[in-house]
Amino acid sequence: MSHVCVSGIGCLCAAGDTLDEAVSSMMAGQRHAGDPPLFEASHPHTFPVFAVRSFLPETAGDVFLRTSQLALNAAQQAITQAQWSGDELRKLRVGVCIGTTVGSTMDVESFYDEYRQSRDPEMLAIDCFLDSNPAAVINRHFGLNGPCQTIVNACSSGTDAIGMAAMWIESGLCDVVIAGGADELCRTTYNGFASLQINSPVLSRPFSVDRCGLNLGEGAAVLILESEQVREKRQHIAAQGYVLGYGSGTDGWHLTAPHPEGRGLKQALAEAFAMSGIDRQQLAFVNTHGTGTKDNDRVESLVLADELPTIPFHSTKGYTGHTLGAAGAIEAAFTLAFLQQQQIPASAGFSEQDPEFSVTPVLENRAISGEVALSESLAFGGNNAVLILGKGEL
Amino acid sequence: MTLLKQPMAIQGIGCIGGFGCGNESFVAALKDGYSQTTPIESTHPTGQRYLPALLANTDRLTDFVPRRSLRRIDHFSRMALLGGYLALEDAGLAVEDCGRIGVIVASGYGAATTTFNFLESIIDDGDSCASPTNFSNSVHNVAAAYLSMQLQALGPNLTISQFDMSISAALYNAACWLEQGRVDTVLVGGVDEHSSLLNYCYQRYFTDSVVAERIAPFNFEQQSAVVAEGAAFLVLSRQPQQAKYGVIDSLVAGDFNQSAVKIDSDLLLIGADGHRSYGEIYAQLSTPQPVYNCTPCYGSLPVGQGFDLAVAALMLRNQECYGIARQPSRESVEVNTFNSVSSLKCTANDQFSLIRLSRQECDHA
Repeated sequence: MSHVCVSGIGCLCAAGDTLDEAVSSMMAGQRHAGDPPLFEASHPHTFPVFAVRSFLPETAGDVFLRTSQLALNAAQQAITQAQWSGDELRKLRVGVCIGTTVGSTMDVESFYDEYRQSRDPEMLAIDCFLDSNPAAVINRHFGLNGPCQTIVNACSSGTDAIGMAAMWIESGLCDVVIAGGADELCRTTYNGFASLQINSPVLSRPFSVDRCGLNLGEGAAVLILESEQVREKRQHIAAQGYVLGYGSGTDGWHLTAPHPEGRGLKQALAEAFAMSGIDRQQLAFVNTHGTGTKDNDRVESLVLADELPTIPFHSTKGYTGHTLGAAGAIEAAFTLAFLQQQQIPASAGFSEQDPEFSVTPVLENRAISGEVALSESLAFGGNNAVLILGKGEL
Repeated sequence: MTLLKQPMAIQGIGCIGGFGCGNESFVAALKDGYSQTTPIESTHPTGQRYLPALLANTDRLTDFVPRRSLRRIDHFSRMALLGGYLALEDAGLAVEDCGRIGVIVASGYGAATTTFNFLESIIDDGDSCASPTNFSNSVHNVAAAYLSMQLQALGPNLTISQFDMSISAALYNAACWLEQGRVDTVLVGGVDEHSSLLNYCYQRYFTDSVVAERIAPFNFEQQSAVVAEGAAFLVLSRQPQQAKYGVIDSLVAGDFNQSAVKIDSDLLLIGADGHRSYGEIYAQLSTPQPVYNCTPCYGSLPVGQGFDLAVAALMLRNQECYGIARQPSRESVEVNTFNSVSSLKCTANDQFSLIRLSRQECDHA
């Protein structure tokens, strides 16, 4: 893959309303979790979540799902940083590629309940769902006319969206792609992860021996990807980073559990390294999926020990929660920011080494050296995806 | 201008839907011009008591997958599995050949019934007793996951959800994978399922319409959509010699009003599926080539364009015109041989995708 340039990054999550805020907050070790702010549930105890704190939906008259509002906010941040005007963008082949889970699911609980009770519920919930496809919302908002798609690969959606967007650039499908991921906290996924018994009642502890599940989060991140031809005309705009490689592999094993030896993840890594031409020892660090569930962290540790045993790694889920379809995009944004700062934050929540693991995450904020890093995502359905990202030129 | 740099050879087709299962059943329905709808008893007290639908039967899946392996697989994923297996069988590929194929599944609504079943478990049993099986089977990529597990297709795997534009979106990715050599073969298709709630929503949205028993595709002012379900899959390859059904050699999509849409094929299939709100764009089409429609055979569903691609491929291979012609008396005389068929799908918000299939690899210069 040629070096696909990232000219703008937008990000909002529980750690902050912008990428800078989020990075500062993580470096300070802050973990902004609490009870779900926008819904209630009747479990014996609540499961802490990581909500976007200051961003509230414009409820009255607004027919977009919160997921799409988050996506649009991140896209606007990214386009502003990339210094694109709408008129300039509309002269080019601009694609939109966004990952999500909640944003494409018809989980209209109150509507369904009323329907079952033989009432005639208001159609607003269905209107809202039909109008809220995140990629289409961004496409319409900016009046674009290029390829437009929402990827729904569960928790690797954001990573796959950025990877596919880079491939669109590489193939000459697009001059520019607005790529990323978005997901909101919602009752359905909250109850769903609880039903699978992987929602933690305490703050998550990725890679720690006493880890007991994940915390859900919400947010969005969007990257502006540009082709080399576009880049040549925009040398005055600072490159925030580069997408150097993308790989994906499928476990073909189980609907919700990863392959015990990480078959698909190893394949994704091999493909990304082959595509990028990057040597493994060039990696400054790895941003893991690191959810804090027993299975995920065990398999990721195993693969890291086999494939990248000397590379420092961490999980940022302890600062953001697991933002599902947004996670890969948010963590790609973090990875680029950490490369820029040449520092990564400690893996939040870790307390004690798991004797089964032969690798340990970074326990304190650590200076790094190098211009390349890797971000990985694992997902229900056996999807695994990784991005190899390069430092910008700020 | 086409977004494709190189053609994609169509090696196999697999379809199931209200017409039945497999190419033979599909062609039979296409020759008839329609499929018989099934009356579904409404579960809601208001509105019409019976609603028509085109439903799919997946019994033939046991030819490919042991019955015990299907126990936890819902109807949505079964349709995708059967469509996938039929396409691979048609392409002459065995499961042993699938290790490095890519899989792309497009779906407008995903596993809707299982999603509603999960909501039902919350409503009936409480938040703490929600069904884990329904939750894990309600994720949008569940069908692609089962395809990868059953076929041991361990290559790249994507699920796309873009409502009526889902099929063309899936094809962008297939084209990239093939062109960049990530895989040599891609199993790509669409799947959507009927649910009573979806049918109810149709009633609510179109309260001023008489419920139609059959789609009237060229009556653009009448709401005649019939809710349908099914799966349509293609096996695509980089190798022109694998082009059993010709090649996909052009893909154009975007906003109809911002694009100079040029239809340069011998025949045109339009995806007008009885939705009045989509009809305006189709109505204003003025094209010299004969125009056909096959939606009364497979019904109204977001991934309908997947079926039209299968129809176009079958028309090219068999050199027969299928479905309903807009001007049958004139076209039946004029259409003798043809080398290309385009599929046009439009949406209510002016998006369109135009995909051309040709008998031979065309000159892209």
